[in-house]
Formats: sequence, C-alpha cells, structure tokens
Amino acid sequence: MTTAQLAERVVDVWGGAVRMRVKVAGSGPALVYLHPAAGFAWDDFLDRLAQRYTVYAPEFPGTSPADPYAIHHVHDVWQVVLMYEELVRKLELDAPVLVGQSFGGMLAAEIAAGFPGRFDKVVLLDAIGLWLDDHPVANWIAAAPDDLPRLLFADPQGPAAQAMLAPPEDPEEAIAAGAGMVWALGCTGKIVWPIPDKGLVDRLHRIDAPSLIVWGEHDALVPAVYAQEFADRIPDSRVVVVPGAGHIPQVEATAETYHAVSEFLAI
Amino acid sequence: MKVTYFQQVPYRELPSDFEDRHESVITTPYFDVTKPEKVTADFRSALDELMFAARLGFDGLAVTEHGQSSYDMAPNPNIIEAAVAYATEVEGIDTAIYPLGRSLGKSKEPLRAAEELAMIDQMSNGRLMSGFPVGLAYDANINNGVPPAQTRLRFDENLELVLKAWSEPDAFAWNGRYAQHPAVNIWPRPVQQNPLPPVWITGIGNPRTMQFTLDREFGFNYFGWFGLKVAGRRIFDRFWETVEQSAKEANPYRLGFMQTVCVAETDAKAEKLFAEHAEYFFQKGIGSIPMHRLALPGGIDIRGVEAIMRDPGDFGIYTRMKTASFADLMDAGSIVCGSPDTVAETLAAHAREYRIGNLHAMLQFGSMPHELAKDNISLFASEVMPRLKNVWNDEGYDHHWWPERLGGVPNPIASNTAGALV
Repeated sequence: MTTAQLAERVVDVWGGAVRMRVKVAGSGPALVYLHPAAGFAWDDFLDRLAQRYTVYAPEFPGTSPADPYAIHHVHDVWQVVLMYEELVRKLELDAPVLVGQSFGGMLAAEIAAGFPGRFDKVVLLDAIGLWLDDHPVANWIAAAPDDLPRLLFADPQGPAAQAMLAPPEDPEEAIAAGAGMVWALGCTGKIVWPIPDKGLVDRLHRIDAPSLIVWGEHDALVPAVYAQEFADRIPDSRVVVVPGAGHIPQVEATAETYHAVSEFLAI
Repeated sequence: MKVTYFQQVPYRELPSDFEDRHESVITTPYFDVTKPEKVTADFRSALDELMFAARLGFDGLAVTEHGQSSYDMAPNPNIIEAAVAYATEVEGIDTAIYPLGRSLGKSKEPLRAAEELAMIDQMSNGRLMSGFPVGLAYDANINNGVPPAQTRLRFDENLELVLKAWSEPDAFAWNGRYAQHPAVNIWPRPVQQNPLPPVWITGIGNPRTMQFTLDREFGFNYFGWFGLKVAGRRIFDRFWETVEQSAKEANPYRLGFMQTVCVAETDAKAEKLFAEHAEYFFQKGIGSIPMHRLALPGGIDIRGVEAIMRDPGDFGIYTRMKTASFADLMDAGSIVCGSPDTVAETLAAHAREYRIGNLHAMLQFGSMPHELAKDNISLFASEVMPRLKNVWNDEGYDHHWWPERLGGVPNPIASNTAGALV
C-alpha cells in the first residue's frame, strides 16, 4: 500500500530537553499530520496526501521506539502546544495545512487556537478535547483490550480493522509492538487523563484558519455529536460525516474521507 | 519473627452469583448489592476482630486501603487505625499501629496523610508504622484521576513531603510539581522523631521498587495472594538478590509478607470450615479485578511491559483466580490452611526459606463470619503464633523497621533526621 518513502527529521526543542522525531514523505506544500493516542502509523490516507503535499508527521514525545523516555520531560498541554509550535517554526514550514486524528485532533485544535495566522487550513478527524456529560467520551486508555476494536471501528470484523489490529507474526516484534502501543497510550494519556477536556472549549474561538471537521458516523469512542460542538465554536468551519465509518474514518472509509478532505483542500 | 494481624473490611454477603453478574469487584453498584445494616455490621466486625487480635498478643494491627471496592471497604486505613490506636492505648496493649496502605501515588493531599499519621503516632504514643504503597491503577488512576504516567512521580514527591513535614523543625515552603504550599508546619508531629516512624513500601515485584526500598532503608512488603509457591518464590529470590547486589545486610526483618491463613483442630476440619470463604475471597475479591484495571498504560515502564509480556509469572495464579477452587488456592500457596501443626510448620518453613522477618496473617477474609474469624484468630494466636515468633531469634539481627517503643532498634546507617532516609 505504501508508495511514499518515509524520511526522518530530528529536531531539538524545549531548550534541547526534548528531541522530536518527524516522519517526512511526499512533495509539495507542507502538511503537518498529528497522530492519534496509540502512536504514529503510515496509512493509505497519508499516502494519498503525500502525492500532493510534503507530509510532516511528528511523533509525540515518548512514542518513538528509539526514545521512549522523552515523555519524562513533558508535563502538560500548554507545554505540548509550545513544543509543537517550536517544532513547526524550526522546520521552517510556511503556513502549513494542519491535520490531526483523535488525540492528534485535539493537539491540532489547541495549536491552531494558540497560534492564529500560522496555519493555512485545519482538518480535525474525530478529535477528542471536548466533553458532554450526556455523551461521555469512552475511556480508551482504561478499556479492556477486547473492547478496543468495537470502540475504534464501525465494523470490527472488516478488512480495515483486521489489518490494523493484527499483531506482527514474529513473537519479539509482537512484544515490541504491543508494549510500544501500551507505552504510547500512556505517554499521550499523561496529558489528557482522566477526562480529555483541558479547557479547549474556551479556546476554539481563536482558530482563524478555515477548518474541516470530519467524523465517522458510528464513532463509538467520540460520538459524532461532537462534530457540531467543534463546528459551533470554530468560526470558519464545516462538518462532513463519513457514513458507515467509526472512530478512524480515514482507515475504515479511506476513499470517502480522502474525497472530503481533498475537496476542502482544493487539490 | 514479628507477626501482625492483617485486616480488610470486605462486604461479606455478596450474592453467590456475584462474579457471573458483575464485571468486577471494583465497579460494583453499591445500592444494588448491599444492605445498609450489613455494611455497618461489617465495619463493627472488622474493628472487633482487630481488637480481639490485639488482646491475644499480635505484634501489630495492619490495615490496607482500597477505594471504591466491595472486597475492602476501607478507603482510608488511618480512620480504622485511629480507632484501634485509642482503644489499645486505653487497654494498655503494646501493639504496633500499622496502616499498611496510605497510597501516596494516588494522594492529591499528601499533607493530609502526613497529618493523619502524625496524629495516630500521638494517639498511640509512638506505635505507628507507616506503609506507603505506590497505589493500584484502578484506585490511583480511575478512582482518583491521577494520570497513570504520574502515579510514581507523585508517590516520589509526596513521600518526600510527608517525611519532611514530619521532621523539619521550621516552617518551610514546598514548591513541588504536584503540591505547592507557602508554609508547611504541621501539628502535631509524630512522637517518633529520631528515628521517624518506620516506613514500609508494598510492592508486587517491580525491581525498581525493591531497589528503592533498599537504597532508602525502608521495609519491603509483599502480599501473597498471587500464590507463594508460584509467584512468591520469584519475588523473594529477586529481593534477596537485590539485597546482595546492593551490599546490604540480609536482615530478614527488612522483608514483610502477607499470607492468608486458616487454622482448625485438624486439616480436614479446616478445609470444611474455611474452603467456601477462601473461594469467596479470591473469586469475588482480587480474582474479580480484571487485568486492565490493575495495570494501565503509562503506569508501568515500557521495559516492564515487555518483561511482563514475555513472562507473566509474577502474577502467579491471578488470571485463574476468578474460578480457582480451594485446591487450586492451596496448590498455589495463596492460602495456608490446616491444623495448628500443619500451619505452623508451613509458615515457619516459608519464613526460613524466603527470609521473612515479618508475617502479616490475614485471618478474616471474604465471607468468613465474625465468630468463625474469632475462632481462627484465637487458635492461630494460641497454637501457631508462639512457634513463629522465635524463628529468627538465634540469628541475632536487630529489627530496624519497627517502633523503638516496641523493641525496634534504630538503624545505624539511616539518617536520624528524616526517618529512614540515607
């Protein structure tokens, strides 16, 4: 599936305390992609974006296999926002598109709200970051492993889900992947636990870039009702609901999701 | 060997089909399962059993902490310990007051813990022993909202604050990552000052925790529910290897071990009397805590996660506990059950083999009714305990992790100003 060649850029931020690793692929204008809570993975959706954009995908500190303890230098959302802004600045990206999925969607919204004027357009894919008592966000970190497929996919038995959930065949690779995913959930969880609402609701109005809010119709982790909550607060925004998809529409319904995003980006 | 009486406050009347109807013992809907008068009675029974044990000569009264659970309804052991601190003082019983668990990883008010414990040391006139577990994931993270990746960091910071608050002569400002106080000057301070009340850390086998207790000259407690014969051996071997590598004295008194024990006149009678309660305790207690509530992402270091995935042996029979029979529990060593001879010989052999200097005897568990618990405590105290107390007498070790008023000997290599700090 992957046609793009992934390169890695390493950028020191936070006074040199944190070394951020950025996967880079494709060519064209800059697009920053922020991965979900379980860590970075390249997929067909990114592959298609990389045909039009240079995709920069920073790994959240601690989620890089080579440097798991970077998380020990990261303490709260405010710090993360500043670190990512520093990263974008040091990469010398001029008004990039900002795309974030789930946990990465929250980061994208926080960063765009923190630094108006810095991003060309914003795409949020089933983002966390808001909380409605009547529609609580599922606790993906505390969920039983057996419950995760149901939370992540509209069709846990479908080919997209099965491909994503299958562990590596080699036992040692499976342990590394399994432990790496657990650790990634812990690293990202460090700044969102116990309730993924860190006050973003009061900051969304600051986002000035045109924003597309994409949601899987059957998202069982962050219900689709949250799409409108984001839209109501981001001034220049619109919502696209992807029929039949769960929490990861770009994986479970790649064509439809890419269509909506490419139309918004006018590519 | 020191022998303490170990108490939880279980709800003793859960329905027989509890484990089929409920996902876990820590997510149980309270009003669906409990009757108010039964809860009241369970607390009364637990306190009565503690005092019953105190009068029979146990060396300490150890109480654990478990928030939001039906298998132990004591979210703050200090409240129970305060009651027995006063009662034993009134009756002139020189027994240690031993909250085994005031979890500092979950505590968002560590100064409150320092104050409570200092009060208990005053109320007991210097008999406090202070257990500080890091904290169970479901309790610290889910019940108390601490991010799993912060539990250990909070524990480390909170412990420093507690020890300093106990001992620092002058008011000080505390600028921690998790707690900030313009002035810390708690009243009262513990009676025990040089040294401070003995500090004990409960662990499940994490080598880092073992190393930490040794570096700081704290005591190390291990609870044997996962099965002494299957998990305990690994843990104790690891502990004493760490002691050796750290060039520390292999003093058995630095190790405490909690064992579930039942004793009756004969082996057969003990099984007849206690088997159902043992099965209740393990199936409806710790066996009904799913793994994903005991371990949360971020709470265990990535290398630790890899080690557990390669070899889950430290968890012993835990994964089978929800359906474990009495025979399974006996085979694993999760319980020691039998006649006084059987129990005394088994426990003494374990103590010698694993160099256990402090035994915490859990003699009431699960659904065991009050009168049967008293029989168990009584027979253990008269027929078993005397044969255990002398296990280490001939080796001449000083007990540095015990209150001085109760015979403890200050540790020459620990600082006099900050508890067991070195």
